[in-house]
Amino acid sequence: MQPINRMKTEFLSKSANESFARVVAAAFAAQADPSIEVLADIRTAVSEAVTNAIIHGYGDEEGIVVLSCDLYPDYIEITVEDFGKGIEDVEKARTPLYTTRPDLERTGMGFTVMETFMDSLEVESEVGKGTKVRMTKWLKSR
Amino acid sequence: MDVRFSREGNTLVVMIEGEIDHHTASKVRERIDSKFLMEPVKNMILDLSGVTFMDSAGIGLIIGRKSRVSLVGGRLSLRNPNPDIRKLLRVSRMEELIELDA
Repeated sequence: MQPINRMKTEFLSKSANESFARVVAAAFAAQADPSIEVLADIRTAVSEAVTNAIIHGYGDEEGIVVLSCDLYPDYIEITVEDFGKGIEDVEKARTPLYTTRPDLERTGMGFTVMETFMDSLEVESEVGKGTKVRMTKWLKSR
Repeated sequence: MDVRFSREGNTLVVMIEGEIDHHTASKVRERIDSKFLMEPVKNMILDLSGVTFMDSAGIGLIIGRKSRVSLVGGRLSLRNPNPDIRKLLRVSRMEELIELDA
């Protein structure tokens, strides 16, 4: 099925862009007139995905994060992609409370929050190449 | 992002305004921790009524402050978390660990 609308943006892996990314994604989703709660869920999930790309994908390096949104009649698909370190063990990374950065007071809840706040979550990653997180959210009550 | 402080007896009340994410959390953390060291207080209340957005970086901030306060035998509680923050606490399984200040 072809999306009825689509957007794609890329930005540097700077933490200041976390708010930019979540606001852009929510603003794009808003054209489908979802509930405020759905928009809040999208904001939170995008913030988690982009933060992961910045902290874990690139760490101290600087790189590009790509955010794309595909709008379908009833749902939105959001993809956050980085071209950084990649994740060695995706299943382990998705385990609640698992974190490699406790020094930053990271809780290891990023993927759990994405999974819970969105309706689906897929993570593709290759060490040395990067990580792609694809999430969908129903915009209308079913 | 703004952080303001007041005292209620031996409790430091921290009013946080704005958005808490990975970008803002470190500055908020530094400000709270240095104030907590300077004031003759034992407990801490994080007043979240002015927080307009929070992701899991906020959970880390809360848990970190709880650990810090526990070191001096104090208690940490949250005041006025909005429904979005409560949902995040629930999802993160932190709701039962964090006290709410009624």
